[in-house]
Amino acid sequence: MSKSNKFSRYSLDSLFGSKTRVKILKFLFRNYPNDFDAKDLASRTQESSSTVKKEIDLLMDIKLIKRK
Amino acid sequence: MPSEHKHKASHKKPVTTKKKVVKRVARRRLAVTKRALPRYTLNPNYEFYDELRSLILKSSPAEMDSMIKRITNLGRVKLAIISGIFLNQDAGGAVADLFVVGDDINKDRLRTFLKALEAEVGKEIRFSLMEKEEFEYRFGMFDRFVRVLLEGPHEKIINKLGI
Repeated sequence: MSKSNKFSRYSLDSLFGSKTRVKILKFLFRNYPNDFDAKDLASRTQESSSTVKKEIDLLMDIKLIKRK
Repeated sequence: MPSEHKHKASHKKPVTTKKKVVKRVARRRLAVTKRALPRYTLNPNYEFYDELRSLILKSSPAEMDSMIKRITNLGRVKLAIISGIFLNQDAGGAVADLFVVGDDINKDRLRTFLKALEAEVGKEIRFSLMEKEEFEYRFGMFDRFVRVLLEGPHEKIINKLGI
């Protein structure tokens, strides 16, 4: 069981092309409909703010996330 | 720098300079607050919102291998069981999300670990800790907490007790 969990996690990271992207999405889905600023997202996902900002821009571009 | 030279050369326009500085500071302040402001949330009108949601939430909420490593470092850990949120179950079902049995657990390290874990999961974690002796006693007498945990959906991520 732990092995299958491990693989499914890795495969999502690879499929989405970014560990940070998956983390941000996971966090947002778990906490929907709450809204967060870039700083919140960086500290809650424990990723660097520059990476998080880059991912936010991308997610905004495809309109998966929106400004509140 | 150039404005300072001007200021020294002609004392006629100190007011303009001051105004300029005030303006510049004000503008900078505005820019800073503005940049800190935007808040983001998911767009439920996104074409694949529902599909993506189930895909993302189906995956494990925390990185299991790093979690195992960090739990091992807390002390002499004999058993660690995940349930509830870590198996993507409803909060009501399980008695604990994380249950650890061990001795000489470093309390500071435990606090830091739980804080980081809650950050990663994005939710509060129901955590229980028992010393080995207490656990074996409770295990032997079919204690309710232990029984509910072990009979419900759970996963032993560390198991040195052979249960």
